[in-house]
Amino acid sequence: MAGSTREERAWVRGAQNGSIAHLEALFRHHWPRAYRAAYLVVHDSAAAEDIAQESFLAAVRNLDRFDRRRPFGPWLHKIVVNRAIDWSRARSLRREVGDAPLASLAATSTPDNPHARSLAAALASLSAEHRAVIVLRHLLEYTPGEIADLLDLPRGTVNSRLRRGLDALAAQLDEDVR
Amino acid sequence: MKWDAPAPKEREAGERSWDVVRSAWESRTAHPRRRRHRGALIAIAAGLAVIAAILSPPGMAVLSSIRDAVRGEKNAKSALFSLPSPGKVLVVSQRGAWIASADGSRRLLGKFADASWSPHGRFVVASRSTEISALDPKGNVRWTLSRPDAHLPSWGGSDLDTRIAYLTTSRLHVVAGDGTGDVDAGGLPAAARVRPAWRPGSPFVLAYVDTRGRVYAYQLTGALLWRSAPLPNPRFLQWSSDGREVLVVTRDKLALLRGGKAELIQFARIAAAAFRPGTHAFAEIRRRGGTSEVVLGRRILFRGTGEFRQLAWSPDGRWLLVTWPTADQWIFIRVAGQRRIVAVSTITRQFGGGTFPSLAGWCCP
Repeated sequence: MAGSTREERAWVRGAQNGSIAHLEALFRHHWPRAYRAAYLVVHDSAAAEDIAQESFLAAVRNLDRFDRRRPFGPWLHKIVVNRAIDWSRARSLRREVGDAPLASLAATSTPDNPHARSLAAALASLSAEHRAVIVLRHLLEYTPGEIADLLDLPRGTVNSRLRRGLDALAAQLDEDVR
Repeated sequence: MKWDAPAPKEREAGERSWDVVRSAWESRTAHPRRRRHRGALIAIAAGLAVIAAILSPPGMAVLSSIRDAVRGEKNAKSALFSLPSPGKVLVVSQRGAWIASADGSRRLLGKFADASWSPHGRFVVASRSTEISALDPKGNVRWTLSRPDAHLPSWGGSDLDTRIAYLTTSRLHVVAGDGTGDVDAGGLPAAARVRPAWRPGSPFVLAYVDTRGRVYAYQLTGALLWRSAPLPNPRFLQWSSDGREVLVVTRDKLALLRGGKAELIQFARIAAAAFRPGTHAFAEIRRRGGTSEVVLGRRILFRGTGEFRQLAWSPDGRWLLVTWPTADQWIFIRVAGQRRIVAVSTITRQFGGGTFPSLAGWCCP
């Protein structure tokens, strides 16, 4: 990940002291991965924007209490991924009648990047819980132990979700995901 | 696997979100939390003291004398003998939904808590706790849909094809004008209790407010057209007649959105606002101390003691109706040509008594 730990600590310290420039540096550094992670879990660009934005707002509200010795990324990603899982669960529960117009209401444009399109389509076939662990492992590059901490899950559960999720993805993608 | 490929709309979403995060950060710096809490406690204590004072015998006497002082507009008519301009006014009182016609006659449509006109005034959509109904102006029910906590219906569309948007708890629904094909927009962010607004004309575009105060514009056959930054407690939405601007009245200010971006924000204490039909001008009610005033552009049209609550333009945009609960009056203000005031008193009694009735629109000759 670009941006050294020392640099990130300086941004957090600056933001805690009221520097808008340091807050902006922190935001611009973390936005792409936060948004991508949310998008790959929820598959809806408006919802991903909501989730990533609200996660940043929650982080900003609590920045004064943040321990500068710890990295900022995992703290933010925990909020993002848990909110994305909650959103996906709520969406699946809230469907009522007449899904066709509903789908058009919530529709978003298709990604123009072919890699993003195939990956997004393949990920969409998995459950939100499986998508989340795969995104944390392969986009955000956390170890299974770190993922277990972030999602409050046993490590064995994380490993089995990774395995099953990757098997399902491999069946759909042309390239080797393992 | 190409995990590093940008997700759709990543950059634009980042720019929008940075604006939101920055403004949240700046407001946080400007209003430290501890002071806010202390202010709230002081306000609560002061409010309790005021309530206690009002409930005491001397307080009741003062209240009575204030009520006596607000006599409203002089020479008010004792009843609604006619409307000064063509059309019909939809009203909701404790008794239910009413239509007041141009000749002053009033018809009770039924026991409904809320109502709204269809685009050409041929029908009314009304709601009560567990159902939403379409009625003709004589009160005949055309169809009814049972939904828990159905509220804030809004009817839009053309002569041939219409849709009704409404809310159940925090979920946005859309149903065809004939009551068929009801859908729950489950994938959209939860809706705030603000009446959704249809953009005039077609295709169908709907604006609504989410629970975080953002205004969304959706095209029913497509996707999100735009989304605004969060606004503090939006209470009212209205599109301009040409569908290019959206007027948003929030807790304490007014915002004019064009393509989702705020073009104008006013910080006066705005109680209500409404576009003048066919224009981008809007009238607003401002409250200053114990008085209220109706303003159009820079022109103060009318001022009075106490609370003005709602506004409605006549369909031809020549007259403005202002409700004045403190005086139990409606004030009609002629805006085109020379200003003229027509006041009507005892409004509450004329719509069945109870609390002062609310306006639900002045529509269609």
